[in-house]
Amino acid sequence: MAPLSIQGVRKSFGSVEVLNNIDIELEDGGFLVLLGPSGCGKSTLLAIVAGLEPSSGGDVVIGDRNVNNVHPKDRNIAMVFQSYALYPTMSVKRNIGFGLEMRKVPEAEREAGVRKAAKLLQIEHLLERKPGQLSGGQRQRVAMGRAIVRDPDLFLFDEPLSNLDAKLRVEMRTEIKRLHDRLGTTTVYVTHDQIEAMTLGTKVAVMKNGVIQQFADPQTIYERPANMFVAGFIGTPTMNFLEGTLEQAEGGLVLRHAGGSLGLGGIEQEVGSFVRKPVVAGIRPETFTAAAGSASTLSGKVDVVEPTGPDTMVILDVGGQMMTARLGSRDRPRLGDPMTLGIDMRAVNLFDPQSGNRI
Amino acid sequence: MSRTSYSATSSAPLSVWDAINPVRMLGELSETRYWMYVLLLPSALLITAVVLYPTLYGMQMSFREMRLNRPDLGTDWVGSKHYARMLADPIFWVSLRNTAVWATSSIVLEFVIGLIAALALNRNLPGTKMLAVVILLPYFLPNVVAGHMWALMLDPRLGVINDVLVRLGWLDSYKAWFADPATAMAAAIVVETWHSFPFFTLLIMAGLKSIPSDLYKAADIDGAGPLAQLRLITLPMLKTIIAAAVILRVIGLVNSPDLLLILTSGGPGRSTQVLSLYAFQMAYKDFNFGYAGALSVVMFVLLMGFAYIYIRLAKVNQD
Amino acid sequence: MAQTRSGSKLIWDIAAYAVLILLAFICIFPILWTLLTSVKVEEDIVTREMVYLPTRFTFEWYVRLWNQSGYPALVINSLITTSVTVLICLLTGTIASYAFARFHFPGRTQLMLGYLVVRMFPAVLMIIPLFVVMQQVGLLDSSVGLAVAYTSFLLPLFVWMLKGFFDAAPKELESAARIDGSTRIGAMLGIVIPIARNGLVATCLFVAIAAWNEYLFALMLTTSQGSRTWPVGLQLMVGEFQLPWGMLAAGGMISILPVVVLFAIVQRVMVAGITTGAVKG
Repeated sequence: MAPLSIQGVRKSFGSVEVLNNIDIELEDGGFLVLLGPSGCGKSTLLAIVAGLEPSSGGDVVIGDRNVNNVHPKDRNIAMVFQSYALYPTMSVKRNIGFGLEMRKVPEAEREAGVRKAAKLLQIEHLLERKPGQLSGGQRQRVAMGRAIVRDPDLFLFDEPLSNLDAKLRVEMRTEIKRLHDRLGTTTVYVTHDQIEAMTLGTKVAVMKNGVIQQFADPQTIYERPANMFVAGFIGTPTMNFLEGTLEQAEGGLVLRHAGGSLGLGGIEQEVGSFVRKPVVAGIRPETFTAAAGSASTLSGKVDVVEPTGPDTMVILDVGGQMMTARLGSRDRPRLGDPMTLGIDMRAVNLFDPQSGNRI
Repeated sequence: MSRTSYSATSSAPLSVWDAINPVRMLGELSETRYWMYVLLLPSALLITAVVLYPTLYGMQMSFREMRLNRPDLGTDWVGSKHYARMLADPIFWVSLRNTAVWATSSIVLEFVIGLIAALALNRNLPGTKMLAVVILLPYFLPNVVAGHMWALMLDPRLGVINDVLVRLGWLDSYKAWFADPATAMAAAIVVETWHSFPFFTLLIMAGLKSIPSDLYKAADIDGAGPLAQLRLITLPMLKTIIAAAVILRVIGLVNSPDLLLILTSGGPGRSTQVLSLYAFQMAYKDFNFGYAGALSVVMFVLLMGFAYIYIRLAKVNQD
Repeated sequence: MAQTRSGSKLIWDIAAYAVLILLAFICIFPILWTLLTSVKVEEDIVTREMVYLPTRFTFEWYVRLWNQSGYPALVINSLITTSVTVLICLLTGTIASYAFARFHFPGRTQLMLGYLVVRMFPAVLMIIPLFVVMQQVGLLDSSVGLAVAYTSFLLPLFVWMLKGFFDAAPKELESAARIDGSTRIGAMLGIVIPIARNGLVATCLFVAIAAWNEYLFALMLTTSQGSRTWPVGLQLMVGEFQLPWGMLAAGGMISILPVVVLFAIVQRVMVAGITTGAVKG
């Protein structure tokens, strides 16, 4: 176990900049999730941390060792790949023990390590099989076994769950969480799945076009997104963006929009400098309430109603802007009816539409 | 400095043996960014030695006097003498015409038969795997044997094909196919087609596998018949692969005189004389390396021109 | 509607069978006929009336070919040349193909295209200078010299074909091995090549067949019994001694036997390899 420090790491292929001055500090035992759409550079960053690809500049420090010029095999790291990357010609046992074998660990010690890891992952009965005879979930476990048996300074996961079906994915996600809680190994985890990021990470770095958009703990990322990209990327259904102009009214600041005006009482942002300027209000679907008694309300026409079981999603046409609200399962408005929804303004974020940043 | 029991090897002090151990040194070399060039070097050197150098040598040879059997003439530069001679050489023009006939007819036949075989095999009917092996086999047989097999079957006195054709009443008497200028080329094309059509079958089969079957289902629902499907889905989807196959085959047909050398040696008369054969005989029989080189250079230029125009046309059609 | 649909499918299936059986017959018949000829007695071959099935079997042609001509020496020469060709390709081509499959570096595409364009050079254009060069370095009329000449067109083919198989082996496996403690070369030799071994075998066999069959280079670059390969030897026998058909047929059958056996064994992998190589080209 060791802290990880990424300092000003850059990567370019020819004239194409894939990573732009990445700075990340991860504490010992932390769980860092690199989150972003495909092509954002998150996998490249992971490969640089692993030493599989050289960086174009900057430093990677694992523990107290600058590993820029250290080969992957000497970095004392372990990695789990999207395709599992199990050696098809070797048994599960040898697959798990391969890292130890390469490091000339004595047979008996190796055997004990493999057994222990296999037990932890409940794959003891599979040790003699070949990877080809395993199911997707089992392969995933073997890949994780191969990583944990080495007791490395750093675990690296490269979209490990994206080849599994939905049910197994949830199961393995829990498993990874449990393993991290038990082993406490510093971990870097790459994914494009925001749920994985939210559930697993102690720190999340949201990336886009080779730039870190926000680096914070999951709660901050969810509740106080740094910009509209992060706000829109995290959460399903996605955050609503209500465009309008900020104005000073009698009762305080209001957001004047095409379908009326929204009182901003209770908002936790200093926005005075934006009066008479266009702003965007980021409203999460669950901050709406069906009770209209609230101080801040939005009115519109019901456009679509989607019952999901526990909730009902209502899409409201507010002066031409579509707002999705997550309401209780009993709320079943009729199509075309007018509807007024209350909003908990403490959870609303205002953005500057020009820069996209949170004000 | 590493706390874990399975410490990294680099943290151990280097022994003298480690420093000179070739296996370890190779391992270290493989981690540098020059590794790929190390891997490429041997083959690149070899290709340079056996392809690039000889080709350039051959090209400059075409501007020299070079007759192995006439050392008295020396090896002086003669400028474009060989090329000028070519323009006035009737055999060159006949060879050029024959090359065009030979390559075009063979390509068309090979493509059509290859396509039909591939389409039939692609239906994956039970038992056709075995037939596929048999159908692809000729491509892997040596020219020499393929040539003699057919020479035996087309023999003017004991040819089984003659016998069958006479029995069917299609021929009055046994025919000397390779001795008649009117049929020699056609007979050679038949042999060539038999030998090489499986190449098209191979490539087209691979191409067919990459066409999503949903397309055909959609076409079925839209009411397109098999021929419309062939014209509207299969052939357009196979365009790239067919273009590649045609280019490779044209190169093979124009460049390699093997089969004609075995079957007819260009005869009777000049009726099956093609450029590659002419160039080879010029070198092998007359030892006139300079003129042979010039003929090859012309062939090479013609091929490059063909490939360029063909690729351009194939691309233009795509847009 | 459904009936006509399945009816038309049936018609096409029947047509497909008919086409395939006809083509298979056309493909196999020359081989069968040669086989028949090679076991016929002379009186059954040279007749006024065509004799289809031999009236009596004989292996005399095979025995005579093997004992009276220099055929065994030719076959041994061919075996040596073929082995050396495969060996050279294996040693230099495998690593080159691996480099093309795994690394992106400036000039990679151009270099690969170059390996392909090499095939466009007319054989004659290379044979003549090779003749001169081989003569100068003393490799003319030697099995090694001929094998080196063969690599001029077989090495690019080898590299392209094998690349398809390396491409099919996931890149992540090497990353895993490198993190597990291998060097790059260790990962290549210990992980990737074992995975691609079927492809490697198929590619080698394909090159072996091509080298075994080659005629033109051998004709030009070998001049004596010492290195002459069987295609040249057989062809010369036809020209020089008016070789009887039976003996020629026997020679043909012996020569293609290894090709047919190898092809039948590995055709599936080999076909896949040839096509992936060519498709990407």
